[in-house]
Amino acid sequence: MELEQINALSMEELLTKCEAVCLDFNFTTVREWKAENPGQKAMGFLPTYVPRELIHAAGMLPVGVLGADDSLEIVRGDACFQSYICHLPRSVVELGMTGRLDCIDGMLFPSTCDVIRNLSGIWKMQFPDKLSLYFDAPQNFDMDIGGKFYRVVLDEIWAHMLKLNGSTATNDDLLASIALYNLNRRLCAEVYDMRAARPWVATASEVYILMRAGMLLPVEQHNVYLARYLELAEAETKAGNRREMDNARVVISGSFCEQPPLALVRTLERAGCYVVEDDYMMITRWLGCGVPVEGDALHNLVQSYMDYKGESAAKFVPDGCKKGTELIGRIGSTNAEGVLFSAPSFCDPALLDQPMLQEALDRVGISHTAFKYSENTGQLQPIRERAGTFADTIKLWGEA
Amino acid sequence: MSLSIGIDAGSSAIKVAVVQQTGGSGHEATHAVLGAGQRRIRGRGFGEVLDAAMGEALEKAGVRRDEISYIATTGEAEGVEFRTGHFYSMTTHARGALFLDADSRAAMDIGALHGRVIKMDERGKVLGYRMTNQCASGSGQFLENISRYLGVTRDELGKLSMSGETPEKVSGICAVLAETDVINMVSRGISTANILKGIHISMGTRCLKLVKSAKATGVIMVTGGLAHDEGLIAAMEEISEEKKFGFDLRVHPDSVYAGAIGAGIWGLFRNEKLMERGGLATA
Repeated sequence: MELEQINALSMEELLTKCEAVCLDFNFTTVREWKAENPGQKAMGFLPTYVPRELIHAAGMLPVGVLGADDSLEIVRGDACFQSYICHLPRSVVELGMTGRLDCIDGMLFPSTCDVIRNLSGIWKMQFPDKLSLYFDAPQNFDMDIGGKFYRVVLDEIWAHMLKLNGSTATNDDLLASIALYNLNRRLCAEVYDMRAARPWVATASEVYILMRAGMLLPVEQHNVYLARYLELAEAETKAGNRREMDNARVVISGSFCEQPPLALVRTLERAGCYVVEDDYMMITRWLGCGVPVEGDALHNLVQSYMDYKGESAAKFVPDGCKKGTELIGRIGSTNAEGVLFSAPSFCDPALLDQPMLQEALDRVGISHTAFKYSENTGQLQPIRERAGTFADTIKLWGEA
Repeated sequence: MSLSIGIDAGSSAIKVAVVQQTGGSGHEATHAVLGAGQRRIRGRGFGEVLDAAMGEALEKAGVRRDEISYIATTGEAEGVEFRTGHFYSMTTHARGALFLDADSRAAMDIGALHGRVIKMDERGKVLGYRMTNQCASGSGQFLENISRYLGVTRDELGKLSMSGETPEKVSGICAVLAETDVINMVSRGISTANILKGIHISMGTRCLKLVKSAKATGVIMVTGGLAHDEGLIAAMEEISEEKKFGFDLRVHPDSVYAGAIGAGIWGLFRNEKLMERGGLATA
């Protein structure tokens, strides 16, 4: 879609378009981009974080492969993973083996967990002709140790990106991509801030759709979508179409990798929760929006990665005593009243972290509850009950 | 004093109650129900049925809509756009039961689709619950289907059932099997009264099992659409006595409105809290 056309969209049109992009598991957006950019490649990536700037600067389209929601019957994917493994790798294999990901020329598998690591091996075996890279992000945040290691990782990935697309992109091109993604993260942050301040203006399900669409859209387009959304949300509010309801303000924690179905996010809203903060699609905030755009671009990415204070269960917290401090900080900064631990079934990182985070919340008296989901969860009634009673508990028996 | 509307949308009817805070504050506040109304959905549009039920409740209360401070929804009414807030149905039935009888320590909510027992404390705080799962054989919808097969109106169900002397046993596990049982009984010439009594005993047994499993004690207020099915209540009392459960089951003329009343009361509680912090934002 042309940028001017996005700027002419109404709120309803914008959300419909973004939802269609999110739920299109034939990756039409990617196919269209490739048709408009003959010879250029598309590079897939999995959650939680990859440096999309490297893909973009090499002239390729970064494509978030976030699974297939509940729209795909998993047959081949189940053959590759034991029953105690989460759903995301199954649907990724299914998407690949049913030809839906033919438009993807390579894949980046971040070191989110062992399952994603194993998925990278399975992918290599199933698609030997396609580039498959394991993105080994450091868990040591000392610049002299983890930083040095990470620089080597980024050098290698950058070289692979240039080779895959036959690109001669320079440091300046990479700096330009960083600037573009800085803008993207800044606009995402503005949307998140709007939701935290006035969750009835930027609702959880709208923000989810908007961010998830950004995993597939070219960043230039996504930036325009984000800016347009911010503009339209304010206009809708001024027109009296959005007003505050008496809902409980909650933070979602544990959904940083396998994404929930959209219906789950809507269920939480209907159950009386304002989601003021979440860890869906963490890539939209990783590094923040101030990565330097001068000097050595790769060094800037390394330094920003080392400095970034955001946490997820996929990131090592060196001092165990501090586990949960970052979450408590986010609860405070968003004026949240409680936490919904919402982890995918069999997500080892999230479920192993959860007791430590819950303990940290208990120490400071913050309410929490927990449920599990998978990306194809269809039975939402138990989650509705859990979220509804939790919201009631906050509103009727809490401090609020 | 502040006024609220509680809207309880079930799967077969919408119930509305206009509640007034008459004194006190917070969890110690006192309330009165000024008016209530209900409408069966019967395939009509949700908005149309809601308007009619609200209109009836407001008219009975002698209150204008613009005098209402908080519109509270519960049940399936979470899609009502003009609501102020939504409460989960267990929370509202518990509070409604407590309002109807201050001695209540559990609510037995038997609606069109399921039955459940909610245990609460003296403030209406939910302490635990048990509910029927998967099968509809303990629900009002099932009873409605059966009454249709037997050619009996809902109003006749209770009296007919109570006249049954040799009730026939009906499957208490599966609605499909229970319906098959009923068809067989009709062909075997079993009287309608004995069939209905058998059904009520089967449903009552299920509901009382929930009470036991929830470890509910003290007064149990029956709420929901089936609270006024005297055949079911009589059957439960008989079973409780026969098995020496010692349950104190009670029904109130406004039992069907318990969810709506509870929503209205919680709405007023929240309204007070919201006012303390300056109310809800309008933009």
